[in-house]
Amino acid sequence: MSTPWILVRRNMRAHWLRSGLTLMSLVVAMFLFCFLISLVTSLDSAVSSAATNRIITQSAVSLFVELPMDYQTKIEGVDGVDQTTTFQWFGAYYQKPENFIAEFGIDHDVFFDMYDAELDLTAGPDGVTGPDARQAVIEAVAADRRAVVVGEGLMSEYGWSIGDTVPLIGTIFQKTDGSAWEFNIVGTYLPKKPNMDNRTMFFRFDYLDETRNQGAATGPTGVGVYSINILDGFDPAVVIADIDALFENGPQVTMTSTEAAFQASFVSMMGNLPFFVATIGGAVVFAVIFSVINTMLLSARQRTRETGILKALGYRNAAVSRLMLGESMLVSVIGGGLGVCLALVSQEAMLAGLGQFLPTYAVANETALFALLVTVGIGLVAGLAPAVMVARLAPVTALRSEG
Amino acid sequence: MSIIEMKQVNKRYKRGGETLTVLDNLDLEVPEGDFIALMGPSGSGKSTILNLVGGLDSADSGYIKVAGTEVSAMSPGKLPDWRARHIGFVFQAFNLVPVLTAYENVMLPLALTPLSRAERKRQAEFALDVVGLGDRMHHRPNQLSGGQEQRVAIARALATDPDIILADEPTGDLDRDSANAVMDLLRRLNDEMKKTLVVVTHDEHAAERARRVLHLDKGELLEQTAATS
Repeated sequence: MSTPWILVRRNMRAHWLRSGLTLMSLVVAMFLFCFLISLVTSLDSAVSSAATNRIITQSAVSLFVELPMDYQTKIEGVDGVDQTTTFQWFGAYYQKPENFIAEFGIDHDVFFDMYDAELDLTAGPDGVTGPDARQAVIEAVAADRRAVVVGEGLMSEYGWSIGDTVPLIGTIFQKTDGSAWEFNIVGTYLPKKPNMDNRTMFFRFDYLDETRNQGAATGPTGVGVYSINILDGFDPAVVIADIDALFENGPQVTMTSTEAAFQASFVSMMGNLPFFVATIGGAVVFAVIFSVINTMLLSARQRTRETGILKALGYRNAAVSRLMLGESMLVSVIGGGLGVCLALVSQEAMLAGLGQFLPTYAVANETALFALLVTVGIGLVAGLAPAVMVARLAPVTALRSEG
Repeated sequence: MSIIEMKQVNKRYKRGGETLTVLDNLDLEVPEGDFIALMGPSGSGKSTILNLVGGLDSADSGYIKVAGTEVSAMSPGKLPDWRARHIGFVFQAFNLVPVLTAYENVMLPLALTPLSRAERKRQAEFALDVVGLGDRMHHRPNQLSGGQEQRVAIARALATDPDIILADEPTGDLDRDSANAVMDLLRRLNDEMKKTLVVVTHDEHAAERARRVLHLDKGELLEQTAATS
């Protein structure tokens, strides 16, 4: 069962350019593979980590049609509803349009209670951190109409500090005098669940509402969506039906769904993304398999005489086959492994690049493991044809070859 | 006692639509410890005899017994192990693995033996010393002259202490001095280590080192000259 494994290493080194190029193609392919799979799993994780006791009410026409503000009181009267908060999308940018920031106007008196399972308030004014931070932030938000709580990722990206005043230019809600909205940073948070990212700002909805009521800002009136926590023991489906029944005669017909379904609707807006991504990922893997097969066949052909020598010395067909399989596996596992490592270490950079498109982007351990298994598969498949080829070579024919 | 026995051995090749008879009812006996040179024109079947004796090829019919084993009756799957134990090959083109050093080339057949790592190392160093290349063991084939490469190939053939060394045109790619050195070395293996040698050659000078010279033509053993030394 002896196999001269030293030949794998030496031949790879002797043909370093070929080996290096094949390795690089595997690095790129497996990085892409991990990235594409992670796109899908990150979207899925946001959906699957949604709260089971939360429902979202929006206009049945479109997410971009506002709901009347008096709907909130009516919703709170529905059996099973615990707490509600406005959740108003506020499109804005910092300094230049490329620095687009996700901001939401919320009801500050209930929001942090309702989202306690999702948000960890990490720091408040005067350097308060740790367990006291939560209360300090809530009090600071209550005390300042322009208060904003910012994700730590966004804080570090722009070098902001608690106490800073951040000017933002609204794209939907614009100041009538053309000036920027000013928000005072009173606290920071870290997400506890993957359906929240660390690059969002939460500000008081009443600041927006009062400003536009005063005529100091333009933009649609009303509320984008209401987020609703339901009481334990109540069936979400019944509460959903009751809320929608309440507004079936308008003025705006509502569509209420679970938080998971609401978040899934964003994924479906992009079409059949999982299929699209799987197709590209599969094509990438196939392309690299063909590339490695080609390299290995070339390697086998160039080593025909070496195969003949080994057979003449007494090495079995299985031993020379193992050499080809071994080389294929080694190239695949090193190249693929580096690609997976690259995908893992580049998570932060990719996250920054993806920005608000996919703030929950992460390469899951399962994805990395799956990608490694795929690289092993590529090595096996690519090594099979050359392994069979060298096994079938007659020693006398192989010794006569030029290779 | 004969270490090689070939009886009524036939071998034909098909080339295009034509059948070429290479060996025609060939009989050959080589006693243990003999050193024979096989001579003859190209296509006479010299290399085919080596390939059949070494189990690299199979006869169409006939009986071949080598080192006590009927090679002609062995299954192809068992031939590699048998070859590793009993046969050492030396080729015209040296056939060293270019990415390995002289020492590593010699270690290749030793890896197939049950010897310990230390014993294998000792054997390889011994074989390289025998061929006079103990000081060049860490050189790659492309750092050696043709004569030195062939001596490494002889060390590799010798390392596992085989019963028989088969050499196919071992001086074919060498200049006269190197060819003489290689043939002298093969003769020493026969004289001092009692190895049985079968050498295929076109070279009359090289054949002079053998104990017996056999002439082959058109697949038949035509004449057998007496040993020259």
